[in-house]
Amino acid sequence: MINVRIALRGTLRNLLEGGEITVSIPEGSTCDDALNAAGIHREDIPSFGFVSVNGMRVMVTDTLSDGDLLKAFSRIGGG
Amino acid sequence: MFGYTGKVLRINLSAGSCGVEPLRMDWADKYIGSKGLSIRYLYEELAPHTDPLSPENKLLLTTGPLTGTPIPCSGKLAVTSKSPATGTISDASIGGHIGAEIKFAGYDMVIIEGRAQDPSYILIDDDKVSVESADGIWGKGAYETEDLIKAKHGCDHSVLAIGPAGENLSTMACINTDYYRQAGRGGLGAVMGSKNVKAVAVRGTGAVDVPDIKKTTDRIIDILTSDVLVEDNTFVYDVGTTAFLEACNDGGILPSKNFSDTTDKDWVKYNGDVLMTYRQGKRGCGCCGLGCGNFLKFKGGTVEGPEYETISVAGPNAGVDDPESIMKYNEVADDMGLDTISAGDVIVWAMEMTEKGIHDFGIRFGEGEKMCDLLRMMAYREGFGADLADGVKKAAAKYGGSEYTLEVKGLEYPQYEPRGSWGMSLSYAVSDRGACHMRAYAPNVEVFEAAAPPYTAEGKGEMVYQLAEFNAVKFSACICDFWATLDYAILSELLTLVTGKEWTEQDMSDTGRRVINIARAFNQREGFSRKEDTIPKRLVKEALASGPAKGQKIPKEAFDDMLDQYYGVMGWDKNGLMPDELISSLM
Repeated sequence: MINVRIALRGTLRNLLEGGEITVSIPEGSTCDDALNAAGIHREDIPSFGFVSVNGMRVMVTDTLSDGDLLKAFSRIGGG
Repeated sequence: MFGYTGKVLRINLSAGSCGVEPLRMDWADKYIGSKGLSIRYLYEELAPHTDPLSPENKLLLTTGPLTGTPIPCSGKLAVTSKSPATGTISDASIGGHIGAEIKFAGYDMVIIEGRAQDPSYILIDDDKVSVESADGIWGKGAYETEDLIKAKHGCDHSVLAIGPAGENLSTMACINTDYYRQAGRGGLGAVMGSKNVKAVAVRGTGAVDVPDIKKTTDRIIDILTSDVLVEDNTFVYDVGTTAFLEACNDGGILPSKNFSDTTDKDWVKYNGDVLMTYRQGKRGCGCCGLGCGNFLKFKGGTVEGPEYETISVAGPNAGVDDPESIMKYNEVADDMGLDTISAGDVIVWAMEMTEKGIHDFGIRFGEGEKMCDLLRMMAYREGFGADLADGVKKAAAKYGGSEYTLEVKGLEYPQYEPRGSWGMSLSYAVSDRGACHMRAYAPNVEVFEAAAPPYTAEGKGEMVYQLAEFNAVKFSACICDFWATLDYAILSELLTLVTGKEWTEQDMSDTGRRVINIARAFNQREGFSRKEDTIPKRLVKEALASGPAKGQKIPKEAFDDMLDQYYGVMGWDKNGLMPDELISSLM
């Protein structure tokens, strides 16, 4: 098992108390797997934007390593 | 008449005259208002190749039919002219309350032409219009200018004001209102300065007529609660555009050190969470509903902001990590009347020039405190500040270092790094006023929604067009960018409710395309074509060294492919030129 810290950004913060949680998931798990383990199902969230791992944008299908920080951002617009 | 007042106030400063004339409703039917309508007027009224800083240029203040109603996010005004920075058409959207005041005073549009003999300001009090002496005001900063005019005429006047940069004709000069809101880009403050106009003060006591006030207000309340005050938009109230910083950093599009790289390990020192610890209060424009403005009080002063663009250019792009330095930069730039984006890009270019030994401007990356000194030098045209005051393109022509400039048509780059979002290079290239992020916001699709692959040319012509079409009609209806959930169904419904004329979703799409085309037609008449739709050398030659977009650069062939796609979507030829029959259809 690996431990991954999940931090939600923007309006997604409201989906978790404090906007953060750490989940234990099997090795080889993807960003999507980690989010699902935390009860965050992006297909049900219209405002879901993108994910980053350790400060770097990645695909939701990318795999995670022990100790990673996974951030999920809501969509933003304007500028 | 509903929505519109049907009246244009024309002030000729050279003749010392003013008059009221009917609004061209045939053009309003085609272009709605604000951006599109003002460009149509200038296409008609400006002779080709007019010197932007001559009395022959005109400055248009244009509202839309929704301005002055309680419709959310409608508190905007288009300030439009031929730009001294680019020689293109240039419209800037400014918030605050000035748009509604112009409407309440009885005008859809104010046209300012000619040049006053002496420094002046324009006072509009409903149908009383006068040109007053600016003795005692000329030379003041933008903040004090508003203070002095409101002290004399009353706080119920909204004021457009320029700072010293506008008086001294810096092509990066902006126009301020409500102290901290700007028509920032394209040097429109210099157009105002060239006319010897320090300020325009407006008070109106009228109203906007609509066909059915109960039906309209009921529906506005419905829309406010169901589509505006929803999570996709309310981040704007919570933290404003400071939210973009972390997203841009992690997304690989936060420029650092004059766009030499992306991402910044120190972003946590000045991100939104940090800046909000300085927050004293909130503010929105008239009829906003969202309220993006954050008043921050810090040791060195007070500012409303900084917004993402300013944080980025005065922070990571300058190699600065001190939040108070960023806030001070914002405060001084606003007071001097300088666009924080363009002035910042010039300064970070000067930093790199010094670092590389090309020319010593006495400032290096990380020297945040010196940035304010350079702002003042540019605003007052002191020393080499006189050369920097006309933008990075002209500065590089004198000092060298053009390979390190980030601009299109002479307008400096906003703070979204295209190597992490290739569509943005196209967006900047084909924008009607030079490099602008408000015309087609590609990172929204390529990065923030992860809805299109960011490192490919494929499909980007259509993608950028769709984004540009929406923004063109939105800004012609005078709606703010932060109503992110707005769509054509709601926009056409609101226009129908207010004007009594039926607008359809197809009308929205058609109008957006027409607005892009009339702006292009103006620029084409000035001699612009494909050769000016450019990408900066750095983005083609240098791969990013770090961040999620590490290794990315934009091959020239890919950029050319995107341009070809866009021209194809627009029905322009390979040189980016519009056929005569297309231009005729816009009249």
